[in-house]
Amino acid sequence: MIKVRDIKSNINLWSILSLIFIILIVLPNLNIFINIFNESNENWNHIKEYLLKDYIINSLTLIMFTGVFTIFIGTSLSWLISVYDFPFRNFLKWGLILPLAIPPYIGAYTYNGLLNYTGVIQSFLRNSYNIQVNQKYFNVMSIKGAIFIFTIFLFPYVYIITKSYLEKQSSSLIENARVLGRNSMETFVYVVLPISRGAIIGGVSLVILEVLNDYGVVKYFGIPTFSTAIFKTWFSMGDIDSAVKLASILMFLVFIILILEKFLRGRKKYSYTTSKITPISRKRLKGFKGKLAFSFCFLIFSIGFLIPTLQLIHWSLLTYKDILNIRFVKLIVNSLSIALISSVLIIIIAIVIANYCRLKNNFLSKIYSKTTLVGYSIPGAVISIGVILFFINIDNRLYWVYKMINKNSAKLVLSTSIIMLIFAYIMRFLAIGYNSIESGFEKVGNKFFEASRTLGMGITETFIKVDFKMIKPAILSGFILVFVDILKELPLTLILRPFNFNTLSTKAFEYASDEMIQEASIASLIIIIISVISIYFFYKAGNKEEV
Amino acid sequence: MRRNVRNISIGLVLALTLLVFAGCSTNEVNKIDDLETEKKKVVNLYTNRHYDTDEKLLETFTEETGIKVNVVKGNSDELIERLDREGKDTKADLLITADAGRLYRAKEKDLLQSAKSEVLDKNIPENLRDQDNEWFGLTVRGRVIVYSKDRVDPEELSTYEDLINSKWNKKILVRSSSNIYNQSLLASLIEINGEEKAKEWAKGVVKNMARDPKGNDRAQATAVVAGEGDLAIMNTYYIGKMLNSSNPEEVKVAENVGVFFPSQNTSGTHINVSGIGLTKHAKNKDNAIKLMEFLSSEKAQKQFAEANYEYPANPSVEPSELLKSWGEFKTQNINLSKLGENNEKAVKIFNEVGWK
Repeated sequence: MIKVRDIKSNINLWSILSLIFIILIVLPNLNIFINIFNESNENWNHIKEYLLKDYIINSLTLIMFTGVFTIFIGTSLSWLISVYDFPFRNFLKWGLILPLAIPPYIGAYTYNGLLNYTGVIQSFLRNSYNIQVNQKYFNVMSIKGAIFIFTIFLFPYVYIITKSYLEKQSSSLIENARVLGRNSMETFVYVVLPISRGAIIGGVSLVILEVLNDYGVVKYFGIPTFSTAIFKTWFSMGDIDSAVKLASILMFLVFIILILEKFLRGRKKYSYTTSKITPISRKRLKGFKGKLAFSFCFLIFSIGFLIPTLQLIHWSLLTYKDILNIRFVKLIVNSLSIALISSVLIIIIAIVIANYCRLKNNFLSKIYSKTTLVGYSIPGAVISIGVILFFINIDNRLYWVYKMINKNSAKLVLSTSIIMLIFAYIMRFLAIGYNSIESGFEKVGNKFFEASRTLGMGITETFIKVDFKMIKPAILSGFILVFVDILKELPLTLILRPFNFNTLSTKAFEYASDEMIQEASIASLIIIIISVISIYFFYKAGNKEEV
Repeated sequence: MRRNVRNISIGLVLALTLLVFAGCSTNEVNKIDDLETEKKKVVNLYTNRHYDTDEKLLETFTEETGIKVNVVKGNSDELIERLDREGKDTKADLLITADAGRLYRAKEKDLLQSAKSEVLDKNIPENLRDQDNEWFGLTVRGRVIVYSKDRVDPEELSTYEDLINSKWNKKILVRSSSNIYNQSLLASLIEINGEEKAKEWAKGVVKNMARDPKGNDRAQATAVVAGEGDLAIMNTYYIGKMLNSSNPEEVKVAENVGVFFPSQNTSGTHINVSGIGLTKHAKNKDNAIKLMEFLSSEKAQKQFAEANYEYPANPSVEPSELLKSWGEFKTQNINLSKLGENNEKAVKIFNEVGWK
């Protein structure tokens, strides 16, 4: 009797849907794991002998240096912004998020176009003052340049997370340090860094995952890394087995990084002495110090946002006549609608799983919760392989259904449609939506839900009438984050898009790799504008939530 | 507040429904397209070219024949991979890609079939097409030496093989070996000089490089003018593109370099093609061959080649004024299929000698 009731209470719409979503996320990845044990072929031996070492060294160099630099810049900025007051602080506070609006691959070709021999800076020096500079110092197309690009466009991840942590959590500790006579530097090193370690590491691991996922920058700069190697062995050598082997090594690397993150972050938890959160009272920096703080923040803002945007505007003015036409409108519509559809789906799925997990809170639900994160840690190049193999498999199995519907149906229906791309987006970005919704639910707690249930409403009814309204801000910010990420996404879109389907990001990348940098500027600018608007709304939503 | 939420959720639901409907209706249209394909006059083309002049050319074709051309654009490697994946379900009738090596790869994957046409046989010379007529070159580019007009006397230049001469130590600029144009160049030298000599050559070039390979072909010419090196190996059409760039500085760069056709007294300058092939599972074979014939015709060749500053494959069509100003040149006398056959060897040699 009891058993029947248990089963009944365990099986409902939410649990069934969650299970289905989780299985759909896991299956394509299994495809890759199964292939790891395939016999290695001649190509693989060649790769191992001559290339693998470079891939590993380059990938590690990139993540290590980018990691260190983003920590340095992101933490120092968040410290300045949250603890001090100085000219234009309010503007810079959100201005420093803006580099996130520029996808690194767009930043990469913009900086190259800006700095190279035919770029604005060198031509100005040459034509006005007849100065010939040494090309060595102006070349960004190197591994050092790539580290620069990644650092300057990805540091906001560290900045945002650390800043919000400092603002909310640390005031008493920082004030105590001040009262006890520590100066700013000492407070920063001995108090701020240790207590915000968790936040910093959280931010920097996002940065590292982004770097490993990147295809655009390393491809454009010609740096052999895992992601370019996967594309190359798959498309140029036509060897999917070796590509899968590379993918599995990369997955292993990501796995180590995630464990490392847990380890670094988890040992000690600094939580709060009081439950009362008081904002930090900011110290006003006057005179020279104020100017210095402003200059540092403004410098980073300029390099990360202002300068590349101005350069892109300049190029757009040169080329808009040839580029801007009706087909461009279609690009915008494509980009917006696929980002919109995918984001809505992601949010719905995230809500279903998150709601299920918080209500059940058992071993299974913890596994579900972790599974949603899988996609974000796997680079796009790897996901795309898994998704394609998976969809071709489905198509083969569903062929008889297609034939029933339409006698002349082709065999590959799903795997040549946009559904495959949307599916891949969901796999990759579910984590972002899920994190946001989960934290929304955490804030609300279960009390309201229980009250509503006691008053006789069902789970679904309660969700619609009670929970949804309470987690609305979380839904909104999750939606915006996912939307911007999909808009900027490159590797998945490049491989999985159906024919005739171009988005702003694929178009910008195509132009850039066709050596038509100026022509790529308009698509890039539109991506940046939409992202900036979205980030602004996100920032506003975040502020409202705090109040 | 409450109303707001309701409005937003209603709005979202409506938007979703609309999108779903939109999705369905385009599917519907596609299905109709499929059915019509069988009756109507269409031809479906996968191409890596994206020039506005191409579209005009295809419109002319449609006007003359009544055959509608559906175009799908993409990167060459991806198009081939896609064609492979679609197998016999593909809608593509024709494939246009840059580089004979890629066309060879498509042939090896059994994605193409032989196209029998007297017109094509007449218009396209034998060395610019596949032995089994599975693909035909449409435009020709040379991979040449570009030199600094200030620092290099063209009299000093002679052959590709001479590039490993120690007098060019730290002078040569060339892009990465992952680029197919370099792979095809080495593949041709493997064919002409043998594998061992070709490897020696690649090793010698690496030794003479002014810097690690980076950037694209244009970047090499720019580096010559910037003084990083004296010689660059690059494709002819990039000079044309730079001369017509929207950036005046790039035009200046192109004006400051000279174009040299290597190996004129020996094996000839390395050439490559953009070419077209009939897909194995083409559903509109007759229309496809008509389009191939059209593109090889005197009328279309000029416009088709000039869109990308290339040489027409049809020998009875004159190249553009710019290309004529560089003079005529002797080309390597090997069948371009060899570029594909030797591609794998070339890639491996590059990796072995450390040409990045």
